[in-house]
Amino acid sequence: MKKLLIFSLAILLVLSFSASCKKKVKEVPPPPAPQAQEQPKVEKVEEPVVKEPVLTEEEIFQKKTLEEINQEKPLAMIFFDYDKYNIREDAVPVLEANAQWLKKHPTVKILIEGHCDERGTEEYNLALGEKRAKSTMDYLISLGIPAERMRIISYGKSQPLDPGHNESAWAKNRRAQFLIIEK
Amino acid sequence: MKHKIILTTLFLALIMSAIFLFSQQEVVLTIREGVPAISLALPPFIYDSSSPQAKQAAETIYQVLSADLRYSRVFQLVPREHMNYIRPLNPKEIFFKDWESIQTRILLVGEISQSQDKVIFEVKVYDVKSERMILGKRYQVEPDLFRLVAHRIADEMMKLYGEKPFFTSKIVFVSNRDGNDELYMMDYDGANQTRLTFNKWRDYMPAWSPDQRAIVFTSYRAGNPDLYLLYPYEGKLVPVSTGGTNFAGAFSPDGKKLAFCSTKDGNAEIYVANADGTNVRRITFNSAIDTAPSWSPTGREIAFTSDRTGTPQIYIMDAEGGNVRKVSFGGDYLDSPAWSPDGERIAFVSRVNNFFDLYILNLKTNQITKLTETNARNESPSWSPDGRHLIFSSNMSGTIQIYSIDYDGTNLRCLTSQGENKLPNWTN
Repeated sequence: MKKLLIFSLAILLVLSFSASCKKKVKEVPPPPAPQAQEQPKVEKVEEPVVKEPVLTEEEIFQKKTLEEINQEKPLAMIFFDYDKYNIREDAVPVLEANAQWLKKHPTVKILIEGHCDERGTEEYNLALGEKRAKSTMDYLISLGIPAERMRIISYGKSQPLDPGHNESAWAKNRRAQFLIIEK
Repeated sequence: MKHKIILTTLFLALIMSAIFLFSQQEVVLTIREGVPAISLALPPFIYDSSSPQAKQAAETIYQVLSADLRYSRVFQLVPREHMNYIRPLNPKEIFFKDWESIQTRILLVGEISQSQDKVIFEVKVYDVKSERMILGKRYQVEPDLFRLVAHRIADEMMKLYGEKPFFTSKIVFVSNRDGNDELYMMDYDGANQTRLTFNKWRDYMPAWSPDQRAIVFTSYRAGNPDLYLLYPYEGKLVPVSTGGTNFAGAFSPDGKKLAFCSTKDGNAEIYVANADGTNVRRITFNSAIDTAPSWSPTGREIAFTSDRTGTPQIYIMDAEGGNVRKVSFGGDYLDSPAWSPDGERIAFVSRVNNFFDLYILNLKTNQITKLTETNARNESPSWSPDGRHLIFSSNMSGTIQIYSIDYDGTNLRCLTSQGENKLPNWTN
């Protein structure tokens, strides 16, 4: 303790001395070597990445355009017998699946198009195409789809799916197909 | 004369029905009205040979007029070679006895001259027996109207003999030659095909008003098949109906009413409205399809198609909707009735073994005549204004084109070739 006191007094003396005779002293003692400093940590400048939340199926659906949705053909078409407009047995599961899809997307509105094959006259086919569209709509109504969500149109024989002139082409052309017009 | 025709027709019908009884198959016969055509001499027109324009006029008008007269079935042209046996025609001094000697009843003399840049066409028509001029006309014609002036003269000739003129009338039809179904019109012989509608939507099933100033048709242009009235010479388009599918529009013969088919009440029914589309009244009440109305020439009745018995058949009802009766028999698919201008016949389409042919039902004799036999789809018949010809669409050549045929199944000719052409209408 004494030593420290003496030492500090001595330093004080030396310092005061050196201060009093500054002008006289030519040589200045070198400054103490700088202490080795610890380097600062590198801070990464970054903003938090905005991560898109995982979309629900409904949200994915809403993002698509009507055109894109229609291209995916979520609603399968159904086919009819020659000169007939009643819903065939093989069309029932198709319409049930369509109804399910429509229930999943309750805002969707659709246009049901009725088509005929070329083996009918222009006038009668236009009426028959309408009947096909209507019976398709009625069936969807019976499956719980409100009528307000559906519209029908007949194209008669003017828009064949298959331009052929044989039974397989005709069978494809006697159809009701679905167009999504609102979502 | 008329009685004679009717008697002949009746007699023929009797024989044919006897044949029908024994053949038990579908009737295949042709109406032969046996009218002796009026023998008409059409010597080459006289023209100023120093004028190339007069020469061109003479050739075009002559060719079109002789085609018109031949098509008429009213006149029969005296063969050109017969004229070699008589003195050459001198318009200043006509030797009528010469013409009589080659069985000419009517002589038509045409003279063409040119004054400055105008072509003058003068027509004189003589009754050979009485040696009198019965028609004289003078026309000043621009070069692009040579065909029209020929049709005008042909119309004058028809009027002269109490026949309904139609050579200047137009046929309206649907063509896809410009990419999608649009309305077009053309002369009766297929010349002057002119586009009438210009849009990317389907325009469909046109029908003339009796004065050929308005066309009723169906268009998808507003997203729904609606009826429109097009006034081609005024550039005016008027929508008529909305809601449901609206089609098969037909003006009444007096032009005051419009019959059409609509599904606006949930099912294909026939409606009658005023010609401008106001005051719509429903005239069929049936859960079946009722369509394709066609007015009788008196306007008191309407022929139409209905499948109320299970298959489409032809019916007639009063224009107010009462007194419905079925007039077709045999066949399980009949449609597109077209009532003839004389009121006695209804042309229609019948499907047998996937072929569509035109038939004519004679309402007086109940006789059905098969008009076409082409193993094709012959559709949409429409009568000429005088009832001697029908136009229709057919795929007999591979593509759908418009054809003309006479009431007796003769003189089949194709009128169109560009793109596909269908749904022709000449009269309702």
